[in-house]
Amino acid sequence: MPVPISQAWTVASYVLKQKIQGRKQYPLVLMLEPLYKCNLACAGCGKIQYPAHVLKQELSPEECFKAVDECGAPMVSIPGGEPLMHSQIEKIVEGLVARKKYIYLCTNALLLKEKLHLFKPSKYLTFSVHLDGQKEHHDFSVCREGGFDLAVEGVREALKQGFRVTTNTTLFDGADPSSVRAFFDEMMALGVEGMMLSPGYSYDKAPDQKHFLGRARTRRLFRAILSNRKPTWRFNQSMLFLEFLMGKRDFRCTPWGMPTYSIFGWQKPCYLLQDGYADTFNELMTTTEWDNFGTESGNPKCANCMVHSGYEASGVDYTFGSLKGLFAAAKATLFTKNEDDEAYRMLNEPVRPVHSYNPLVQIETPSNNLEETRA
Amino acid sequence: MTGPRHADRPEHTLHPDQLEVAPGFQHEGLQGWIPELASEDDLREALEKAFDYRGDVTITRKDGTKLEGYIFDRVTGVTLGNSFVRLLPKDSNQRTKVAYSDIAALSFSGRDTAAGKSWEAWVKKYWEKKSTGEGQASLQPESLEE
Repeated sequence: MPVPISQAWTVASYVLKQKIQGRKQYPLVLMLEPLYKCNLACAGCGKIQYPAHVLKQELSPEECFKAVDECGAPMVSIPGGEPLMHSQIEKIVEGLVARKKYIYLCTNALLLKEKLHLFKPSKYLTFSVHLDGQKEHHDFSVCREGGFDLAVEGVREALKQGFRVTTNTTLFDGADPSSVRAFFDEMMALGVEGMMLSPGYSYDKAPDQKHFLGRARTRRLFRAILSNRKPTWRFNQSMLFLEFLMGKRDFRCTPWGMPTYSIFGWQKPCYLLQDGYADTFNELMTTTEWDNFGTESGNPKCANCMVHSGYEASGVDYTFGSLKGLFAAAKATLFTKNEDDEAYRMLNEPVRPVHSYNPLVQIETPSNNLEETRA
Repeated sequence: MTGPRHADRPEHTLHPDQLEVAPGFQHEGLQGWIPELASEDDLREALEKAFDYRGDVTITRKDGTKLEGYIFDRVTGVTLGNSFVRLLPKDSNQRTKVAYSDIAALSFSGRDTAAGKSWEAWVKKYWEKKSTGEGQASLQPESLEE
């Protein structure tokens, strides 16, 4: 079981309650962005491109609690910006734990070791550490050498002190599937509870606009990575969402599944697109023209999106929507191997990014060895 | 009410499921631009670009007062009177709403905060550091000094 039983039960009972009430659009995870300030400047990030006076702004703990209460989702993800740079992050976490919300504090972990003393281990609190792959790959992805080592140091300390820790990994064009698989081995050996994965989204405001995966390439990449899965790997996310990434099933986007609240208000329509802001959660839900969003809508801004914030909630909703969904989820959870000979072959293909840019594909890593061949 | 959307991404003819890479958004160099607001269409178009802009803008109201800040929202209605932008002013944390009909001039006065932080800039910096044997390379976050 990749998450504690109490968390699985809380989420399952919440979703079933929504189903019984006939609620078609409901939030599953609140994306609470208490600040935009960050200590990294990743080229592919579209979340931190603001003038200094905006970066200095923070949501107060009271504003966070109001948003959490208004939304009602059982899980709260705290991204940003870098949440550990928030001046009152410990008060925010404390207040959410008191509300029995399952928190994923999404951090690049550069400050994790020095800020750990602010928090108490709890089943409600998980540090979700941003690691985009093996050492060189992560450092290159976040545009900072040495970032991986600092993050891993933080992870080790957090695990030692009894905190729940997961990783979250964003993949871009040029990702080497063999290296990603080797990274999974490293993370499980490190002792993290589970891993989360997502393709990057082509944020309008990100400095880099060339290296976001399209849907065809996303499916091939994730098929190569997630087929022939090792029994030691644990994923802290919907198994049906992983099947979606591998191209084994299709979902419609549920952008309301992970609504976003920040210093500007409730972001329309989703975590990724900024098409304006609502002042209340109710206004967000009732005034957003949801049919205009999602790949199936034909909206060009949604064309390449297969991101967790749009589709993971779709997987969870499908799971609890019918016996067929429940059976599919149970099957995906119990039978994780996903044997696929073609995927083995794909692992040995050279990595060819559309825009040749990534010197890392030339870096020899121990992952490029015979361990990944079937023979 | 919904108005014109952001400037759309480049046209692509492939079905989304066939896309190898996302086409990406093409940013114009807007820093320092002072658009001519001769017509209603000019104003609407310029404000849409200001909404997409990654820096501060300065709005001059018809009463002569100026407001500098970051536009985080815009709602476009049928008339200029019921269309408005919302800003976070540079010198205050009170969100401010300005009707399109009250705007006399607009200037992209602030720096584009993503400029110089491209992937190419990072790769260049990385190899420069490697070739000179200097310390660890990184792209720097936006400075909080204004």
